[in-house]
Amino acid sequence: MTIEDKVFSGDTLRVGYRFQRHWDNSMAYAFFCAELGAGLFFVSLLMDNVAGMILGLVPVATGKPYFHLSHMGVPARSWRAALRPDRSWISRGLLGLSALIGCGAALVFCLLFGSSFGIEADSALVNLLKVLAGIFALVTMTYQGFAMSHSSAIAIWNSAILPLASFLYSLTTGVAVLLLLPGAGGTTDLASALLLLLLALGVMHLMLLHAGWHGSPGARTSVELLLQTLYAKWFWGLTVAAGILLPGLLLWWAPDLLLTQLVACLGILAGFMAWRILIFKIGVYEPIMSMNPFNPLH
Amino acid sequence: MARMGMVFDLKACIGCNACVIGCKQENSLPDGVFFTKTLSEEYGVYPMANRVYIPTICNHCDDAPCEKVCPTGATYTREDGIVMVDDAKCIGCSTCAVACPYDQRTQMEEESFLKGLFGTGEITPFEEQGYGRYTPGTVTKCDFCSQRVDAGLDPACVVTCPTDARIFGDLDDPDSAPSKMIRERQGRPPMPDKNTKPKVYYVN
Repeated sequence: MTIEDKVFSGDTLRVGYRFQRHWDNSMAYAFFCAELGAGLFFVSLLMDNVAGMILGLVPVATGKPYFHLSHMGVPARSWRAALRPDRSWISRGLLGLSALIGCGAALVFCLLFGSSFGIEADSALVNLLKVLAGIFALVTMTYQGFAMSHSSAIAIWNSAILPLASFLYSLTTGVAVLLLLPGAGGTTDLASALLLLLLALGVMHLMLLHAGWHGSPGARTSVELLLQTLYAKWFWGLTVAAGILLPGLLLWWAPDLLLTQLVACLGILAGFMAWRILIFKIGVYEPIMSMNPFNPLH
Repeated sequence: MARMGMVFDLKACIGCNACVIGCKQENSLPDGVFFTKTLSEEYGVYPMANRVYIPTICNHCDDAPCEKVCPTGATYTREDGIVMVDDAKCIGCSTCAVACPYDQRTQMEEESFLKGLFGTGEITPFEEQGYGRYTPGTVTKCDFCSQRVDAGLDPACVVTCPTDARIFGDLDDPDSAPSKMIRERQGRPPMPDKNTKPKVYYVN
């Protein structure tokens, strides 16, 4: 059965696949901001780049809450989302994200103005803040992938590859942006690391497509939507070509050239944004066709 | 303790949608919001073509994925097994909606309350008294008409059905009508591969 033969019921009262439309583009933007910012902060922390840390905290503290709240039905009650860390990845993520903003801001303050208050850069407090901020950055980089993979309803999301995708994209975009910042230091090493991360991203996409194609009917339908419908041009054009292949070729050809680094970074960001939107668009609920006992096809 | 559930008799359902209307009326649901739907599917080729109606509703799963992912605890299970939503705790994040394999969650958009059932912006007295129970933006679903169950009545969709295609009762009671029907006619839960342990079954 090809994608043309499948029934997409939409809002009609027919048995068929139903598109996931509860998490829309604003959620995709929120996910993008959190993973980009946390990734940049994490890589900057490892490279001791304060400018990168500050820049990383900006989308985490502004874009992520803005787009998340604009998606929420009752934003005034959003604090309640932190109440169930024992069972919900949304709660864990919110707590991790808030802690990242708190620890990250305190760390940046200590690194910039700490000496005025007698806090040295290698003091126990700063080291503790670095460890905590690093842990909470890792939580923010991955929790959205865990939240999606927790959903058994959307088969293509219900995979261990989703948290890996969040982590890899977060790390990749973080390295790509840090590469452009002044004082990043060791840009050739960063460019080499970015090349490896792009390779890992390519493998991750292959794994997800393979797992979906050979998975449940819902997962296969999502992969078919991605590869055979109007989403295909965005996936191949932005996510694969502009987001992985072009940056890879440019960085392999001229890793130290600022122009190639800039184009590579823009391509990676565009590919990541496209991927974040597409993974929501291709999510489908499976039809309850197995319930039709009269249909000999089932 | 009781474990309330429902059985759909696919042979009895004629697709009249009386259950849908009964539900909307009982729960004062605004335009575009349904707690139950009757889906249809055609099969075969003329002259052997046919159509089957498949009622759908929240399955009040024993292992409800919507409850597990709710970050506020707004979704909870009563002692009698009915999965409820506490309107005062719901933040409208829709995490439950993407977790439900049966797509039985609906966000109550503010616009749907404002435009009214007739789409003219005029709210009838019936709508006015009914909409007060909802907070715009929250995510809701069927609760087996818990207010009726508490009063010892069957859900509105069950009493409205003209062909007795919906049977409601205690699944833990072996002598209840749904238990007997599941046992005698090999009732099957929807999408058992999702491991949600639904309390709604289908028989043919």
